[in-house]
Amino acid sequence: MPGPHEERPARRRTRDPGAGGRAQRPEVPFPAGLPEKPTGRNLREGGTSGASPGCWATGEDASDRLRAAWSQPSGAPACGAGLPHPAPPPREPPLVPPLVPPRHPCPWHYLRLSGSLESLAPTCFKAKLHRKSGGSTPDMASAPAMAGRTPGELGGGTYTYTSRPRAVPCQRRRYREDPLQPSEESMHYGNIMYDRRVIRGNTYALPTGTLPGQPDLLDLQRQQMARRRALARKRAQERLRPRTPEPVEGRKHVDVQTELYLEELADRIIEVDMECQTDAFLDRPPTPLFIPAKTGRDVATQILEGELFDFDLEVKPMLEVLVGKTVEQALLEVMEEEELANLRASQHTYAEIRNVELAEVQRLEEQERRHREEKERRKQQQWDIVNKHNETAQKISARVFAQRYLADLLPSVFGSLRDSGYFYDPVERDIEVGFLPWLMYEVEKTMEYNMVGRTVLDMLIREVVEKRLDQYEQRSLVPGPGRPGHPEAVREPLVGFQLPSDPNLSQRAAYSRAPQPQDRRFLGLDE
Amino acid sequence: MPLPDTMFCAQQIHIPPELPDLLKQFTKAAIRTQPADVLQWSAGYFSALSRGDPLPVKDRIEMPVATQKTDTGLTQGLLKVLHKQCGHKEFVELDDLEKKWKNLCLPVEKFRALLLLDPCTKRIEWMKFLALGCSTLGGSLITAMKHLCEILTKDPEGGPARIPFETFSYVYRYLANLDPSISSSEMESYLASLKGNVEARKNGMIGLSDFFVQKRKL
Repeated sequence: MPGPHEERPARRRTRDPGAGGRAQRPEVPFPAGLPEKPTGRNLREGGTSGASPGCWATGEDASDRLRAAWSQPSGAPACGAGLPHPAPPPREPPLVPPLVPPRHPCPWHYLRLSGSLESLAPTCFKAKLHRKSGGSTPDMASAPAMAGRTPGELGGGTYTYTSRPRAVPCQRRRYREDPLQPSEESMHYGNIMYDRRVIRGNTYALPTGTLPGQPDLLDLQRQQMARRRALARKRAQERLRPRTPEPVEGRKHVDVQTELYLEELADRIIEVDMECQTDAFLDRPPTPLFIPAKTGRDVATQILEGELFDFDLEVKPMLEVLVGKTVEQALLEVMEEEELANLRASQHTYAEIRNVELAEVQRLEEQERRHREEKERRKQQQWDIVNKHNETAQKISARVFAQRYLADLLPSVFGSLRDSGYFYDPVERDIEVGFLPWLMYEVEKTMEYNMVGRTVLDMLIREVVEKRLDQYEQRSLVPGPGRPGHPEAVREPLVGFQLPSDPNLSQRAAYSRAPQPQDRRFLGLDE
Repeated sequence: MPLPDTMFCAQQIHIPPELPDLLKQFTKAAIRTQPADVLQWSAGYFSALSRGDPLPVKDRIEMPVATQKTDTGLTQGLLKVLHKQCGHKEFVELDDLEKKWKNLCLPVEKFRALLLLDPCTKRIEWMKFLALGCSTLGGSLITAMKHLCEILTKDPEGGPARIPFETFSYVYRYLANLDPSISSSEMESYLASLKGNVEARKNGMIGLSDFFVQKRKL
């Protein structure tokens, strides 16, 4: 027992300062197997008085923790790393079991204060129960508060908690409580919902509980009283329970196992964590070839000629196939060809018949055509004849009618013609046309000559008279030359003399011509 | 190929590559010809094949006449076969002919009977023999001529079986001469009429339709 005492401080020194609050209470009630139960209990009791057998959060048991605590805590959780843990006044239990450093550093442990470590672990409950000094309850109550408050106390750090998820270990007791060792009232289940250590309510304003160093006396007292009462109740009940009688004088009760094989009795189920890891960088080696083991027996034999192979036998299937297939194929082909030939033959027959029929049809058609043509021709002929006949009749009738109609046309025509003078005597006509007009013309001319002569004569006379008159006048006026009128007068007679001077000239022409120029001259003269 | 000494499995057996084809042709010929005695006929077939002669194979399958009214088993098909075999020559040796006759599994007596109709010694003109065969096929002269046309024609089967008019007239005259009932004048007149028909129309070929009126089953 003193050993652990010594060890503890030493261990504390070796421990990480950051882990100051760590399991300072090392408490493994059973370092290396319980020697016997009562002592173990004692141990436990003693140990748990101030020890936390196992970390509740990490699930390690006290032994582990104690064991781990020996090694340097490596990889200490970062939570609260920056937090310098204050060195709370440790609650030194009177009895300190051999200290084994916990193997698994648990963040809870970091935050845990010395006095409250055991209370945080489930086994801490047991420790708490066994501890007579009390104060665990307040510890329990205050632990979370303290734990929560620690950072606040320290000044401004954030509260973090991380833990590896762990299953809640079974806390079922195997054996009932020793009557001499009444158990404290405690909560046997690990349900978080009913854990008084879990803070409920708002977390931003933490209740200002009692300081760790100054527990609320009133609360403490009340709790102690309650506990005592409960214990008393329990004790009373225990006494009523029948127990094994006390050992007789000089004897001692000993627990003995009656089974074949001894079994180590332990309340706590030994849990062992095992880890395994494969080498990450090693390639899987190729699978070895599977060569099955040789089974069976080796037997040797010799084959003589003719034993393996019998030609007739072997060739039979071949022959069967050959012949069978040949026959089958031949049959098929023959049938096919036959069918085709049949088809062709029937085709030809049909074509033949058709040809014959076609020829017949053609012949008949030809005949028919000829008949028809003949008929047509005859009909046409007949028609023509009839037409002609009709025409002729019509012509005849027309002619007759015309004849009759124009019967008296001729005489009337002749009559009218005669009347219009188309039939004339040519001599008469000639006389009429030719002679008589000439005669008339001649007569007219002669008469005209006469007239002209008379006219000329008249003019002559008039001229002469006028001249005479003029002359008389002139003579009367001027017995002068009336020569200007003389040439004319001379001329006149010339002219007038001319007239009869050439009577041999075409009389008619003279007659016709002379008066006319004379007339003109005379007239001109006159004018 | 002779069997090698060591033959172990069926796969080693070697089949000549021509064998299947040969067998098939033979089988087909046999099926088509339907000989009464297969062995005899096969001998004839293979000997003809080996010699390169035309094979005694019918072109069309023709079921053998079971009830042999004429008691010869001679059919148009068989005559055709014979014609195929012998037709290229004008004269046939009687022995040869007899052998061929036998190969077709026809009774020899009938052969002799045929020959009796027109006796000759060593050789016979093939046309005449054919004509005689045809006459045994059908009852009358006209049916004989019909068979002849069908055998000799180059037209496809079922078509107008046309043969040259000279052949026709030759055979007709021959058969008419053999038959005492038909007078020569009748024959000549008939032939003349046919000839007129033929020459008016075609290229000297006379067909079935010219002289043979098939009774159509209506």
